[in-house]
Amino acid sequence: MTWTCDLIEARLSDYLEGLLQGPERAAFEAHANSCADCSPLVASVRGLVGEMHAMEELEAPPRLVYAILDKTLGPRETVTGWQAFLNVIRGLATPKFAYGAASVMATLIIILGASGFSLRKPKLADLRPAAIYQSADRQVHLVFARSVKYVSDLRVVYEIQSRLRQDENNLQTAPEEMLPKTSPGKNPGQTDEHKPSQPRQQNRANEITRQLEMMAAELPMLSERSGR
Amino acid sequence: MRRHTRRIFNICYRFTGNRTEAEDLSQDVFLRVYRTLGSYRSAHGGFATWATSVTRNLLIDHYRRTKRDRITDSLDDKMPVVENKESAGRRPDEQALLGELSVQVQSALTRLSPELREAVILRDLQQLEYAEIQTVLAVPEGTVKSRINRGRIELARILQQMGVRPA
Repeated sequence: MTWTCDLIEARLSDYLEGLLQGPERAAFEAHANSCADCSPLVASVRGLVGEMHAMEELEAPPRLVYAILDKTLGPRETVTGWQAFLNVIRGLATPKFAYGAASVMATLIIILGASGFSLRKPKLADLRPAAIYQSADRQVHLVFARSVKYVSDLRVVYEIQSRLRQDENNLQTAPEEMLPKTSPGKNPGQTDEHKPSQPRQQNRANEITRQLEMMAAELPMLSERSGR
Repeated sequence: MRRHTRRIFNICYRFTGNRTEAEDLSQDVFLRVYRTLGSYRSAHGGFATWATSVTRNLLIDHYRRTKRDRITDSLDDKMPVVENKESAGRRPDEQALLGELSVQVQSALTRLSPELREAVILRDLQQLEYAEIQTVLAVPEGTVKSRINRGRIELARILQQMGVRPA
C-alpha cells in the first residue's frame, strides 16, 4: 500500500493511539518523517492531544449545585426561631450521639476518679495540677505495692500447696510398718484409746498438722525471701 | 451529585466556551434528567453515559437555537466569533486560572463545527472510550473515529492560524 498524505491524515489518530502495528506503523512513520506537509501536522496534532489530556477539569461553582437542587426538588424551606432550635435538638437525639456522649462521660469519670477528685465532695483544690500529680503518684505506688504483696502471697500459697501434695504422696506410698500397730484382738480401725477414727487417717492428720506448724514457723523467712 | 455536576458543567463549558451559559445549560440538563429518569434503561449504558447523552442533545438544541443570534452578533461587531466568545464569556480571573495554551485551545474549540467539537470534547477532554462516545452520539464507531480524527486535525489547523503551536 502506498501511503499518501490523505491516508496519513485519515489514519493519524489510529497512529497516535497505537492502533497501527508492525509494517503499517513503519510505513506511516516512513512517510510522515519524510513528507514536509505531514511531518509538522503529525507533530502539532500529537502536541495538541497531549495538551488536551493535560487540561484540568474546571470546578463547578458551588451555587450551581444549590440551583440544580432548587430547580429539581423545589426551593428549600428556611426555618428560623424555635423550629430551627428544635431541628438542632432533634438532630442531636440520635443513638449515635447518645453513645458518643455516654462514652465521653465514662472516660471523664474514670480520669477524675484516678486523679483523686471526689464527685461527692468536689473541691477546687483537688483540681490543682500539683494535687492531681500527687494523687496520681500515690495511686500508682499503691497499685504497685498491692501487686507486689499479691505476688508474694501467691508464692507462699503455692509453696504450701506443693508441700502438702508431696506429703500426701509420701503417705500413700508409706510402708505398713510405719503405721501405728493396733493391738491384736481389736477391731480394725479401733485405736488403743478406743477412738473411732481409723489409724491411717489419724496418722495423716497428725503429720499434716506437724507440717503446717513447720511451715508456719518458716513463713516469715519465706515472705522475707519473696519480698527481695 | 457533585461529581456529575462537575462533569456536566465541564462538557457544557467546553462546548459553549461561556461560563454563564454552561451553568444555565447544566441546570437544564439536570432538570431534564430528573424529569425523564423514568425513561432511563440500563441498555443506554451507565447512568453517566445516559446523562452525557442528555447533555449532548441539549447542547445541540442550544447551538441550533442560538445560531442566528451568534451570526447577528458577529456581523454587528465585525469581529470573528471566537474573539466575541473570549471577551464576553471569560472573566480575567478565569483567564489566569486556565493556562494560556488551554485558553487558546478552548477558543479554538468554539470555532469547530458542533459535530467535530462534541467528538473531540468527549474523547480528549472527558476521555471517554469509543464505545461510550458511540452510545452518546448514536452513530457508528467508524463515524466516531472519523469525527475525532478530523476534529483534532481541524483544531490543530485553527491553532496554527491563531499563531499557536502546541509542543
